[in-house]
Amino acid sequence: MTINKNTEGTKLTYSIDGRLDTETAPQLEADLNKSVNGITELSFDFAKLEYISSAGLRVLLTAQKIMNKQGSMVIRNVNDVIMEVFDVTGFSNILTIE
Amino acid sequence: METILKLSVSAMLPVLMSGLLYLAEKKTKFGTLSYRTRQIITGILFGAIAVFGTEFGINAGGAILNARNAAPLSAGLIFGGPAGIIAGVIGGVERWFATFWGAGEYTRFSCSVTTVIAGLIGATIRKFMFDNKKPSWIFGLITGMVVEVLDMLMIFLMNMSDIHYAFTFVQRCSIPMIPINGISVMLSLLIVSLIGKERINIHKEHKKIIQTFQKWLLLRIVSAFGITCVFTFVLQTRVSNNDTNDLLTLNINDVCADISDASDANLLSLTYNVASEISAAEDVDDDLLLGLSDKYDVAEISVIDKKGIVTKTTHEPSHNYDMADGEQSAEFLVLLKGEKEYVQSYQPTSDDPGISRKYAGVALPDGGFVQVGYDARRFQKDIDEQVVGITKNRHIGENGSIIICDENGVIVSDRNNYQGKMLEDTGLSPDKLSAPENQRFTAEVYGETSYCMYTVSEGYSIIAVTPVSEARFSRNISVYVTVFMEVLIFTSLFILIYILIKYLIVDNIRKINKSLSKITDGDLDVTVDVRTNEEFSSLSDDINSTVATLKHYIAEAAARIDKELEFARAIQLSALPSVFPPYPNHSEFEIWAGMSTAKEVGGDFYDFYLIGDNRLAFIIADVSGKGIPAAMFMMTAKTLIKSLAETGIEVDQIFITANEKLCENNDAGMFVTAWMGILDLATGMVTFANAGHNPPLVRHRDGSVEYFKSPSGFVLAGMEGIQYSKNELQLYPGSMIYLYTDGVTEATDANEQMYGDERLKSILISLSGADTEAVCKAVKSDVDTFVGDAPQFDDMTMLCLEYKGTSGFTEKKEG
Repeated sequence: MTINKNTEGTKLTYSIDGRLDTETAPQLEADLNKSVNGITELSFDFAKLEYISSAGLRVLLTAQKIMNKQGSMVIRNVNDVIMEVFDVTGFSNILTIE
Repeated sequence: METILKLSVSAMLPVLMSGLLYLAEKKTKFGTLSYRTRQIITGILFGAIAVFGTEFGINAGGAILNARNAAPLSAGLIFGGPAGIIAGVIGGVERWFATFWGAGEYTRFSCSVTTVIAGLIGATIRKFMFDNKKPSWIFGLITGMVVEVLDMLMIFLMNMSDIHYAFTFVQRCSIPMIPINGISVMLSLLIVSLIGKERINIHKEHKKIIQTFQKWLLLRIVSAFGITCVFTFVLQTRVSNNDTNDLLTLNINDVCADISDASDANLLSLTYNVASEISAAEDVDDDLLLGLSDKYDVAEISVIDKKGIVTKTTHEPSHNYDMADGEQSAEFLVLLKGEKEYVQSYQPTSDDPGISRKYAGVALPDGGFVQVGYDARRFQKDIDEQVVGITKNRHIGENGSIIICDENGVIVSDRNNYQGKMLEDTGLSPDKLSAPENQRFTAEVYGETSYCMYTVSEGYSIIAVTPVSEARFSRNISVYVTVFMEVLIFTSLFILIYILIKYLIVDNIRKINKSLSKITDGDLDVTVDVRTNEEFSSLSDDINSTVATLKHYIAEAAARIDKELEFARAIQLSALPSVFPPYPNHSEFEIWAGMSTAKEVGGDFYDFYLIGDNRLAFIIADVSGKGIPAAMFMMTAKTLIKSLAETGIEVDQIFITANEKLCENNDAGMFVTAWMGILDLATGMVTFANAGHNPPLVRHRDGSVEYFKSPSGFVLAGMEGIQYSKNELQLYPGSMIYLYTDGVTEATDANEQMYGDERLKSILISLSGADTEAVCKAVKSDVDTFVGDAPQFDDMTMLCLEYKGTSGFTEKKEG
C-alpha cells in the first residue's frame, strides 16, 4: 500500500493505493494521528483502493469520529468492491461518500 | 592605492562568477544539465577569469599583481573538483604561453605551476576534507592565502641567483596578493552561502565532532604558527642587531686605530725632536721650554726628573707636580723603568679634567724624561692630511659608510664627497652625538634611515652608518622565507591531522552510527564491522555482542508472548459451544459451528443458546482488529449479548442495548459486525438483526441457494444511538441457513485472489443434501484447497443451522 498525502492549509487529502488491511491500516492510523490536528476538511481518495478490511474500516471510523468534532470528512471515488463493503457493514450510512 | 583598487576589482570577478553560476544552477536550466557538463562549463568560465587575471594584471613597479589563483580555487571549492582542475589547467597553461605576448618571464614557471596547483588544491580539499561539500568561508580565506604564499615562495626559490631582486619582488607582491586572493575566495564562498540563504553562523545544539575538531585544530595550528612567527621574528631581529653592532664597531675600531696610529707617530716624532734639543742644551730652564713649545707649536712641555717630579714646565701650575699623583700622568712613569717612549691617546689631563690633551713622553739619556702635550687643534692640523679621505673608499656592507668629523662638526672624511661640509648636511644632527659612544642609534643619513654608531677618537668623531634596509635585509629574508615555509608546513600539518582523524575516527564513527541506526530501526541482523584499528574493532565486537544478547532476549520474550497468546486462544475457544449435537432432546433443528483460527488470536465468535424451550438464539460476529484486545472485546460482546438475549427481549432491542453498552469506554475504537437470529422452533420463523455483517446464505428445501440480503445496520460499538431493525426469515423444514465471517470469503490464495462470494455459493449448491456438519467441513476443506500454502491472517468461522420442523409443523405457505 502507498499513502499519498496532500495538505493545503487546514485541508488534508489522503490517496490510498492498494490494500487497506490488518497489515497496512496501522500505517494510515499512525499518520492520521500525527496530521489530523487542526484539520477541518479531511478527505480520502479511494480511486486506487483495492480492498478494505475491518482494520481499515476501524481507521475510517476513528477518523470520522474525530472529524465529527472538528470539521468534516469526505470519501471520494469509491469503487464497487469497496462500496459493497461499506453497504454490508452499514458504513455507508455514517460516512459521507461522494 | 589605485593599484589596490584595481586589484580588488579583478579579485571580485571570481566572486561575481560564483554568485551567477550558483544562481544559474538553482534557478535556470543550467541546473538540469548533467554533472559532467556543468563541471566542464564551470571550469572553462573560471579558467577564463584566471586568464583575465593574467592579461589584465596590474603593473606595480615591474611586478604584475593579479588575483589569478582565486578563480580555480573558488571553482574547485564551490563547484567541484573537476571544475577547479579544468580552471587551474586553463589558467596555468595560458600563463605559460602569455610570456610570448608580454607577461613576465621572471615568474613564468612559478605562476603557471601554482595556478594549476590552485585548482588541484581546491579539488582535493573539497573532496578529502569536506566530503565533496562546500567549505565555510574561513577555509576559503585560508586556502586562498596559502596558495598565494606557495606562489611567492616558488617565485623566490626559482630565482635564487639574484636573491636581492627576487626578495624585493616577493616583498612587493606578497602584501597585496596574498590577502586579496584569500579575500576573493572567501567572498566567493560567502556570496554563495548568502544566495543559498544559509545562515552563516548555524547554531546547532550538537556540533559534529569533525567541526569541533576542525575549530580546535585550526585554533591551535594558527596559534602555534603565530608563536613561531613571533619567535622567528624576535630571534632574527636579535641576530641582525648583533651583526649590525659588530659590523659598525669593527669598522669604527679600524678607523680609530688608523687615526690614533697617525697621531701617535706625529706626536712621538715631535717629542723626539724636543728631547734631542733639551739634551743638547747646556742649561735647561723654563724659558728654553717656552721657546721650544712655540717652535713646535705644542701646548705643553715638561721635564720630569728621575723621581717622577716635574722640574721644569711651560705649564706653571705643574711645577713640582708628582707624576705618580694622577692616574693619567702616572702612566708615564714606565719611562723611568727603562721604556724609551710612551704615547697616550687624546684624553682629559690629570690636573685639569676640563682640558683634553694628547701626551707623549721620551726618556732622556741622563735619566728622567720629557713630556710633550698638544691639543686636538694642533695634532689635527698635522694628521688631517692622513685622516682626510681615510674613509672615502670604505664601505660598511654594500651601502654603509663611515663619516669622520672634527670637534666643530666639520666633515673630514666620508664616502659621498661631503668633505668640508657640516655634519648636519648629511641629515645627521650633531645632537645625536651626545648619545653614549659605541651605542647604536637610528637616524636619517644621506636621505636614508640608517643605523649609526659613533665613537670619539683623537678629537675626531667617527660615525659608522649603515642603511636600515640593508641591515635588515637578511633578517627580512629569513623571516619571510621562514614564515612562508611555516605557512605551508602548518597547513600540510593541519590537513594531514585532519584527514587522519577523519579517516581513522570520524568516518568509522559514522559507519558505526549507520549500522546502529539500522539496528535501532529494528534490523537486528545488522552487524557492525569496523576493523581499521584495535579500538574500533573492539567497539564493533561489543556492539555486536550487545545486539546478539538483545536478540536473544527478544526471542525469549516473543516466545513467552506466543505462549500467552496460545493460552488466550485456548480460553477464547473454550468459551464457544463445542459439543455437537448440543441439544440431543431437540429434533426441530440441527446446528453445527466451527472456528478455524489464524496464527494470531482474533475476534471472531459464534454462539447459540435456547431462550426458554421454544426459541433458539444464534449469532456469528467478527470483532475488528486482532490480538488480545480483539479477543477481550469479543468476550465482552459475547457475554453481553447472551445476557441480554436471555432476558427474552427482541433481537433488535438486544443489538440496540448491546451497542450502547459496548460504546461506553470503547477508547480503542473497536467494533463488532454481527448477525443474530432467533428461531422460533415451532414456526420456523427467524427474527434477526444485522449489525454490518456479511449476509448469510440460505439453502432452500429445493436445493436452491441464495444470499439472504437485508438492510444492514451499522456495526456494533461503532457509534452511539444506532437503531437496528428486526427482520424476518421464514425457514421450512429442510431449509438451512449458513453464517460465516469474512475469513471465509476473503481467504486469499498465493496470487492474492479472494475466495469470494460466488465460490462460497457454488460449493453450497454442490453440497445439496449434506447436513450441517458436512456443509461446514466441506466449505472449510474447499477454502483450504483454494488458499494452498498462502498464509491466512484471519479466523475462519462458520455456523450452519438446519430447520427440521416439528411433528406438528404446518406449512402456511411456501414459495
